[in-house]
Amino acid sequence: MSEEDPTRRTVIKVGAAVAAVATAAPALPDVAEAKAAVTDTARISLKVNGVTHRQELEARVTLLDALRERIGLTGTKKGCDRGECGACTVLVDGRRIKSCLTLAVMQQGREITTVEGLARGDALHPVQAAFIRNDGFQCGFCTPGQLMSAVACVHEGHTGSDDEIREWMSGNLCRCGCYPNIVASVRQAAKEMS
Amino acid sequence: MTESQVGRPVSRVDGVAKVTGAARYAADAEVRGVTHAVLVMSTVARGRVTAVDTAGASAAPGVLGVFTHQNLARLALPSPAVAFLKRFLPVQDDLIRHAGQPVAIVVADTLERAQQASGLVGVSYRAEPPRVVLADDMGEAYIPPQTNDGANDYVRGDVAAGLAAAHAVAETTYTTPMQHHNALEPSVTVAAWDGDRLTVHESTQGISNTQNALMQAFGLARENVRVLSPYLGGGFGAKGPVWPHTVLTAAVARQVGRPVKLVLTRAQAYTSNGHRAETHQVLRVGAARDGRLTAIQHTVTQQVSRTEDALLNSSEPTRILYACPNVRSTQQAVRLDLPMGSFVRSPETATSHALESTLDELSYTLGLDPVELRVRNWSATNQESGERHGSSYLRECYERGAERFGWSRRDPRPGSMRDRDGLIGWGMATAAHTAGGRPGSSATVTIGVDGTARIRSGTQDLGTGTYTVMRQLGAEVLGLRLRGVRFDLGDSAFPAAFASAASATVPSVGAGVVRAATAARDRVIALAVADPDSPLHGAAPDQVSVGDGDLFLTERPSRRVGYRQVMRRHGRLIEVTSEAVFAPMGYSVGATFVEVHVDPVLGRVQVRRMVGVFDCGRVLNHRTARSQAIGGAIWAIGFTLSEHTLVDPNLGRIVTPNLSGYLVPVNADVPDIDVSFIDKPDPSSPALGARGFGETPMTGVTAAIGNAVYHATGHRIRDLPITQDKIIAALS
Repeated sequence: MSEEDPTRRTVIKVGAAVAAVATAAPALPDVAEAKAAVTDTARISLKVNGVTHRQELEARVTLLDALRERIGLTGTKKGCDRGECGACTVLVDGRRIKSCLTLAVMQQGREITTVEGLARGDALHPVQAAFIRNDGFQCGFCTPGQLMSAVACVHEGHTGSDDEIREWMSGNLCRCGCYPNIVASVRQAAKEMS
Repeated sequence: MTESQVGRPVSRVDGVAKVTGAARYAADAEVRGVTHAVLVMSTVARGRVTAVDTAGASAAPGVLGVFTHQNLARLALPSPAVAFLKRFLPVQDDLIRHAGQPVAIVVADTLERAQQASGLVGVSYRAEPPRVVLADDMGEAYIPPQTNDGANDYVRGDVAAGLAAAHAVAETTYTTPMQHHNALEPSVTVAAWDGDRLTVHESTQGISNTQNALMQAFGLARENVRVLSPYLGGGFGAKGPVWPHTVLTAAVARQVGRPVKLVLTRAQAYTSNGHRAETHQVLRVGAARDGRLTAIQHTVTQQVSRTEDALLNSSEPTRILYACPNVRSTQQAVRLDLPMGSFVRSPETATSHALESTLDELSYTLGLDPVELRVRNWSATNQESGERHGSSYLRECYERGAERFGWSRRDPRPGSMRDRDGLIGWGMATAAHTAGGRPGSSATVTIGVDGTARIRSGTQDLGTGTYTVMRQLGAEVLGLRLRGVRFDLGDSAFPAAFASAASATVPSVGAGVVRAATAARDRVIALAVADPDSPLHGAAPDQVSVGDGDLFLTERPSRRVGYRQVMRRHGRLIEVTSEAVFAPMGYSVGATFVEVHVDPVLGRVQVRRMVGVFDCGRVLNHRTARSQAIGGAIWAIGFTLSEHTLVDPNLGRIVTPNLSGYLVPVNADVPDIDVSFIDKPDPSSPALGARGFGETPMTGVTAAIGNAVYHATGHRIRDLPITQDKIIAALS
């Protein structure tokens, strides 16, 4: 993240959020509205799974809540809302992030990929297929986050060994206890994606 | 040869929905015009609310209502019989029974606005100092009236005589901390009223209980309450009982005249769904020179709340498992200013941990291998009821587990096994948990004119594989292929089923599916043998078998006819609903073996290897059963090594209500786990030889880890969790 990029913390700290956001969000109307509060809305557009969604949002709305409550993409889950569980993991410009820890207004102009964007029609992504084949989930609630992390884990090249997969998949909690099957899923997907 | 539909490692039938984001959990329900509720929780643990200032919140943008005990409608308290275990409804009076009790509810048009307004509610209290430390109030222990925990004061034989006659006696005190479920999906209620009709999307392990509780709370007829739960993001007991937030959400939805969604925050879940209560356990176990047990005395004392007596950490393993003529099990409680405890995955784990750890101590006193000690005390009989288990291959589990683990290579001397950078320990214990012994469930089987079947039951799939296994059971009995059968659940409009709890789904719901499918199959057979144009015409029904979508003569399989042809000629569907029949109690068992590595400098314990061999009767699906066993083992790692909820001793507030201070295992904590099954049918099972299993595989592993830590270090850490500081203190 570059130095100009606002983080959720700086945005909240500033309070007059729009000012901070504007540096990364050229689509916002005017920096003159800098005195606006987090409760003021802005018209933004988010590109999710290749589709542009225009929304009028308060600055304080997280990417997670924008996806779930506004855009209607409920595949991404909220498990803790504070970056501890990983259920809300999505890809932004190919990089895995926790969507509860970023604001929607900070993600304009970026390519956001959610679990709904992995398959091509009826053809599952290799990671999705591998999770089914290896029973990499039980309740399925952490699964969207695990899948997005797994895609990134493979692309990052962190699948050299089972221990490496374990380490790089440890930001996504699974309470049903599927970790060995998740490791097997990522291992298999990595092989198929190479 | 007919292809069997049970036993095979069939992939989850809900797999595609779960990996594409199409599976809609309660919070994902599409409800037009939904608004958002946020709870305001008590910051004191005991006292009274003296004033609530709602002016700021009420005036905040988007707020539709701010509710306190002064303006929320009066609600009837649902009964424990419908699993509403808590004996009070919050936001109905000014009394504070524990910290984190709802005192106000804010409803607004967006989540952010509700959250902001909730911070503007000013609550004043007259606080009293709470008592929240179990060790401080052990003198207040009492034996509660018996509820669902078995006998709270159980005696068989003469324990004093048994101890006096013993060659060796192990006397121990084990303590286990407060722990929380932490299902990844926090509890959710989405309530929508249409006149007097209420529809609720609920994250619940028991839609029937939720429906009944809402009927009681609002005085509604059954047909006016519909509860939906097609997907559940884990439960582990948190969503087994019905909790106040469900009723409160429906209440505020009625008052604001809009649908309302409530999603508990992670922190709120720590005081809203119960917990595994802290225990203090004292054991005296005596044995003869040959290892046969002469006496077990087990006193477990645990925290309960001011308003409820339910224990949930009950001593079934002590009463049921081992052949021992003299047993006394006492279950007592200490009232504290904390929320009530409740079911948490495998409730018998806490007492199993103390018993199995004490047996390991006894094995050292006797100089007897811990596997051998257990084999010598094996029994085919439930020692409490005196009835034989339907089947028990526990001795085979010990044998196979020891072989797979390589137990014979173990040097029993503590501290004797090392590798380059630390100490190695090997430990084992018995896995055992009751399964079933709960109310039965109904199911409806509908066979269409196209020869396919639809099965419905008002059960839930909390991740255990209910969707998949019920479809397998139905297909097996009907003789259809899996693709010819559909199984639907999670709707209270379906025939009522028992909650997804107590390892009861297979013996309760599974049996209901088997009964309905059997009756439906018999009706199709009756059609086939009565039809003059059928190849089976005139055959006796008991000479007809089913399989691969056909009906055929058992002795002459070439004489056959398809379901589709029979049903097409019949021209209308067949529908059968089974009656609910009480589900028998099974006892699913196993042997677990663990290798740990202990870093003597950092005190870090790492589980390196695990082997589990289980007897749960016939295995309906090896893939989902293996996953349940792995899940249980991982829970055991957390239970034993990292999970404890910390409470401020002065304020009575939980200081770790999150997933950063409360440490559940992560991927890097978990090694490969070797799971296998005896897989022999239990003839007493009402579900094709299968018993319930979900809770068994967490038991045993906890003590096996602790026993391995002793084997590695020579120190017993009897106070869970076995954290690094305790290892360092012991080794220095």
